[in-house]
Amino acid sequence: MPPDDEGAEVDDLERARCPTGIEGLDNILNGGIPRGNTILFTGSCGTGKTTLSLEFLVHGALAGENCLFVSVTEASEKLMRNVIPYDFFDENLIKKGKLVFVDMPVIYRRLGMTAMELTLEDVETLVKALGDLVDELSIKRLVIDSVTSVCYRLKTEEKIRNFILKVGKTLSDRGCTSLLISEISPSAERYSLYGVEEAIADGIVLMGNLERRGDLLRTLQVVKMRGTNHSRAKYVLDLTPAGILLVPLLKGGSGGGT
Amino acid sequence: MPKSPSKLADELAELPPSAIALSIRDDTYFDAIRGVVDRFATKKDLNTIYISAAIPSQSIIDVLKILEIDMERIYFVDSVSHTMMGSTKKPENVLLVESSTMLENIMLKVEYLLKKSEGKGSVILLDSINALAIHNSSTILSEFVHILINNLRAKNAYIVLFSIEGFGSEEINNMMGFVCDLTLDMSEEGR
Ligand SMILES: Nc1ncnc2c1ncn2[C@@H]1O[C@H](COP(=O)(O)OP(=O)(O)OP(=O)(O)O)[C@@H](O)[C@H]1O
Ligand SMILES: [Mg+2]
Repeated sequence: MPPDDEGAEVDDLERARCPTGIEGLDNILNGGIPRGNTILFTGSCGTGKTTLSLEFLVHGALAGENCLFVSVTEASEKLMRNVIPYDFFDENLIKKGKLVFVDMPVIYRRLGMTAMELTLEDVETLVKALGDLVDELSIKRLVIDSVTSVCYRLKTEEKIRNFILKVGKTLSDRGCTSLLISEISPSAERYSLYGVEEAIADGIVLMGNLERRGDLLRTLQVVKMRGTNHSRAKYVLDLTPAGILLVPLLKGGSGGGT
Repeated sequence: MPKSPSKLADELAELPPSAIALSIRDDTYFDAIRGVVDRFATKKDLNTIYISAAIPSQSIIDVLKILEIDMERIYFVDSVSHTMMGSTKKPENVLLVESSTMLENIMLKVEYLLKKSEGKGSVILLDSINALAIHNSSTILSEFVHILINNLRAKNAYIVLFSIEGFGSEEINNMMGFVCDLTLDMSEEGR
C-alpha cells in the first residue's frame, strides 16, 4: 500500500476509470471513461448507440455496480426483446436489481408532467427525480436513451442547457458515470440536435455509417473526452454476441471517404 | 522437390508464434493447406481460422472432407461466397464477409473467433494475399496486413499468409518481406 499522499497524487494525475467492458473502446480511452463523466453518445439511426450503451451497463452490473437504463424512446420491454443475445448476459442481473430499466414516460406521469412542453421548473423536478432514483438505488452507471427525446419537450436552448448541465452535475456529484444518447441526422454538421448538449458534455463519442466504394461500415470515433488522453481515429465496429468489437478504419491513403 | 505437409508442420512448430509468408504454387497448394490446418494445428493443439479470399470455403471444406481431416476446430472467414451462399445452407463454422474489399470486417470476424476461442491457441491462415490484392490497392492491403499481424502478435497467435509464387507485385512482395517474420517456400525441401 502506498502512503496516502502518494495515492492522492496518482488520483490527480490519472482519474479513476469506469471501464466500459468493451475492450476496443477501453483501449481507445486508455482504460475507460473517467468516473463521473457525462458522455454524449451521438449518431444517426441504427448505428448501434442503444446496443453499445446496454453493453456498458451489462459489464458494469457484472462487475457488481448498480446500473440504470432510462428508456425514453421505446418501452424497455420491447427494447429487451430486440437486444442481441450476449454470451455474457445473465438474467439474474435484472432479477437481483443490478440492472434496472425505467421508462421515462412513467417518470413524467408520476411527476404529473402531462404538458407537451416542460417548464424550467419541470426541468428542476425531473433532474431531482433522477438524482433521487440514483441515490435510492445506488446507481453507478446510467444511460438515458435518448436525451434528444427529452430535449424535444424542452424546446428552448435555455431549458436544454439547464437540463444537461443539471443532469451532468447531479450524476457526477453522485459518482455516477453516464451516457446520454443523442440522435442526429447523418448529414448533421454537429454532434447534437440542438448544439447545446455537445458543448456541455464531458465527452463526445460519434457513431456513424461510412460508405466506401459501395460498402457500408459502422464507425465509432471518440471526439472528446475530458480527463484522459485518447485516440481520435475512426474505428469500424461489429455488433456480435460476444459484444461490440472494434478495429481501426483502414485509410488506404485516400482518407477512407465515400 | 516439394515440401510435405509434415515437413511444413515441423518447420512451423519450431517457431514461436509469428507471421510467416508461405510461398506456394498450384501443385503445392493443398499440401500447404494440409500442413497448416491439419498437421501443424494438431501438433500444437491450435484452433484454425481460415480466411478464404481465393476459393469459397465450401470448396475447401469439400477437400478437407476427402482428405478426412477433422474440422471440429477449423473456422472460416469467407469473403468470396456472400452472393452464392444463402444463410440457410451456411455451415456453422463459416462466417461470411460481404466482399473482399471489406478488410475491416475480415479483421472483425477474426477478432470475434479469437474471442470465442478464449484461452486456446490459434493459427490464422490467409488464403491468399494475391486474392486480396485483386480487390484492394496495395496501400490499403499493406495497412490491413500490418494491423492484422500486430493484433495477432499481441494475442500470441500464429499467422500464415499464402503468397502465390510469381503472382505478387513487387510492392506486395516487399511489404510481405517487411511485415512478416520470415518466408517459407513450399517448393524447396531444404533451405
Ligand atoms: N438481436 C440482434 N442481433 C444482431 N444484430 C442486431 C440485433 N439487434 C440489433 N442488431 C443490429 O443493431 C442495429 C441497431 O442497433 P441499435 O438499435 O443499437 O442502434 P441505435 O443507434 O440505437 O438506433 P436508433 O437510432 O434506431 O435507436 C440493427 O440495425 C442491427 O443491425
Ligand atoms: Mg436506439
